[in-house]
Amino acid sequence: MERRPLLQTILVYAAAVILAVVIIVPFAWLAIMSISSAADLSSRPLNWLPQTFDFSRYGKLLTVASNSAGQAFLASLRNSLVVAGMATIVALIVAVPSAWAVSRHKQVGWSIYLAIATYMLPAVALSVPLYKGLAALGLLNNVFGLAAVYLTILAPFTAWLLKSGFDAVPREIESAAMIDGARLDQILRRLTLPLAAPAVATAALFALLLAWDEFFYALLFTSDQRAKTLTVAIADLAGGRIADYGLIATAGVLAALPPVIIGIVMQRALVAGLTQGGVKG
Amino acid sequence: MSDLNIEGLRKSYGNAETLKGIDLSLEHGEFLVLLGPSGCGKSTLLNCIAGLLEPTAGDIRIGGRSVLGVHPKDRNIAMVFQSYALYPNLDVARNIGFGLEMRGVPADERARAVARAAETLQITSLLKRRPSELSGGQRQRVAIGRALVRDPAIFLFDEPLSNLDAKLRSEMRLELKRLHEMLGATIIYVTHDQIEAMTLATRIAVMREGRIDQLADPETIYRDPANLYVAGFVGSPAMNIFDAHVVAGQHGPAAALDADGSTVALDPGLHRNGTPGTAVHLGVRPEAVRLAVPGEPSSVTAKVEVIELTGPEKLVTATVGDVRFTARLDPNSRVAKGETRQFVFDPRAIRLFDRATGNALTAG
Repeated sequence: MERRPLLQTILVYAAAVILAVVIIVPFAWLAIMSISSAADLSSRPLNWLPQTFDFSRYGKLLTVASNSAGQAFLASLRNSLVVAGMATIVALIVAVPSAWAVSRHKQVGWSIYLAIATYMLPAVALSVPLYKGLAALGLLNNVFGLAAVYLTILAPFTAWLLKSGFDAVPREIESAAMIDGARLDQILRRLTLPLAAPAVATAALFALLLAWDEFFYALLFTSDQRAKTLTVAIADLAGGRIADYGLIATAGVLAALPPVIIGIVMQRALVAGLTQGGVKG
Repeated sequence: MSDLNIEGLRKSYGNAETLKGIDLSLEHGEFLVLLGPSGCGKSTLLNCIAGLLEPTAGDIRIGGRSVLGVHPKDRNIAMVFQSYALYPNLDVARNIGFGLEMRGVPADERARAVARAAETLQITSLLKRRPSELSGGQRQRVAIGRALVRDPAIFLFDEPLSNLDAKLRSEMRLELKRLHEMLGATIIYVTHDQIEAMTLATRIAVMREGRIDQLADPETIYRDPANLYVAGFVGSPAMNIFDAHVVAGQHGPAAALDADGSTVALDPGLHRNGTPGTAVHLGVRPEAVRLAVPGEPSSVTAKVEVIELTGPEKLVTATVGDVRFTARLDPNSRVAKGETRQFVFDPRAIRLFDRATGNALTAG
């Protein structure tokens, strides 16, 4: 390793620690809140560390008893999984061919920038036309309707990410495969997609997070447990006459878990894919 | 029947014409090298043959059948790319067998073919590895193996050795020559390296600006270049070129160098057509220049400027008037920098080129 002056080393580590703290503290506080007693949360001065650990709120949110907070929460969790999952999968299905086309045929490159340009519009500008459109199709308060709206956001974004991934795969590899007799779908499936796996995984993960965290459209286009997503459900918890901050924090922790788990699983798969065979023979 | 026929092939990009009418015919077992600087159209020509590019005009026939509009996979060709273009996510065995796999060849038959190709290329021990675990030379062998296993009518090589270091390059050159002789395969090989061209080819097509300047066997290309361009491109150090005029000498035809008026003898058999007074470029290869013995007629007086001992030879750069030329001398030659010495050009090795067109004056 290169030699560094001591001061520089200290500064580098200090910067890293500050960054880590900035990232971790809000989530740590969320987790602490979720297991603090109501008394600890409302005492002044604030108890940064709870006197007792209170896990009851987790139980409260994870029950299926009818008309309970748990039922509403679990329904919204399911809705979020369905909406974000569908939107992400369809976005990838749409984005892979279009990103490949844009990457390999520069003459249609302008189209992706046009799609990205729709990002310049604020969400609120599209909300009325989208609302009217969904209403006309009978898709208001419907997971498919919301997923379709999310698809319009995710597809350009994933296509753009995938394009840079495909750009990094040498064209000569595809030419070689073409001469070897592979059809276009075989080239994509066997070579281009596996080689662009990091970009595909990144696109999928970010698309999922984008859909998972979306609040504005979900708030506008859903109204009850049939389609309401987690972000809206959490907001509902805060909207009552007495807000239980601990409960909101608990919902926040639980809402963060699925994307975190998916992220970890995907990262494992990704690393495995890249090093597979790297240690054999 | 020829393995490959190309007639009037043109390729344009917008207004820019990259190939300006290529005619070529290749017999079975030939090793044709397309030689030229970058941008001369040699890779474009190769890609047209491969089917990766569609020509604008003209015809390409492989084994007598026109392949215009035919998909690359149905042209019965295999191609080795400059970057090797191996499939990084597949092991060596699957890389080599990919073409057979895509063509639905049964697994056991495929395995036998892969094993045979690997044996030919001496890479059997590498079959389980991934391309990332191979050295440049090994990757090159795998890329060749991928072509070999398909047993195509024509092998296409696109500057396959240019990513290798000098030592490996000469090893692989030898290997390619051995393979060609062993397989009797028909090969088209693109390079800008004249050593590769000279050593590998049965015929060389020297290309310039979308045209073939000369198509001949390596010996002819070197000995009788068709024009000044070919003369300058092939050979290192390059052929010496002097401005000169044909004169009537005392003992047959001769040429007077414009630089200082000294006359050099020409071979009467080779230069019957040079009528006295014709303005020419006189070309002579460095190895055909030697030091004169004292009092030798038709010698050229020049000042020695640079001496480079390369090991097997001494390269002497000298000037006559303001024209610089190189002589390839015996390493034991006694010659010193700054000296003025007499040099003699071998009359049989002198070539004359028309001053206006640059084309060689033919003997006939």
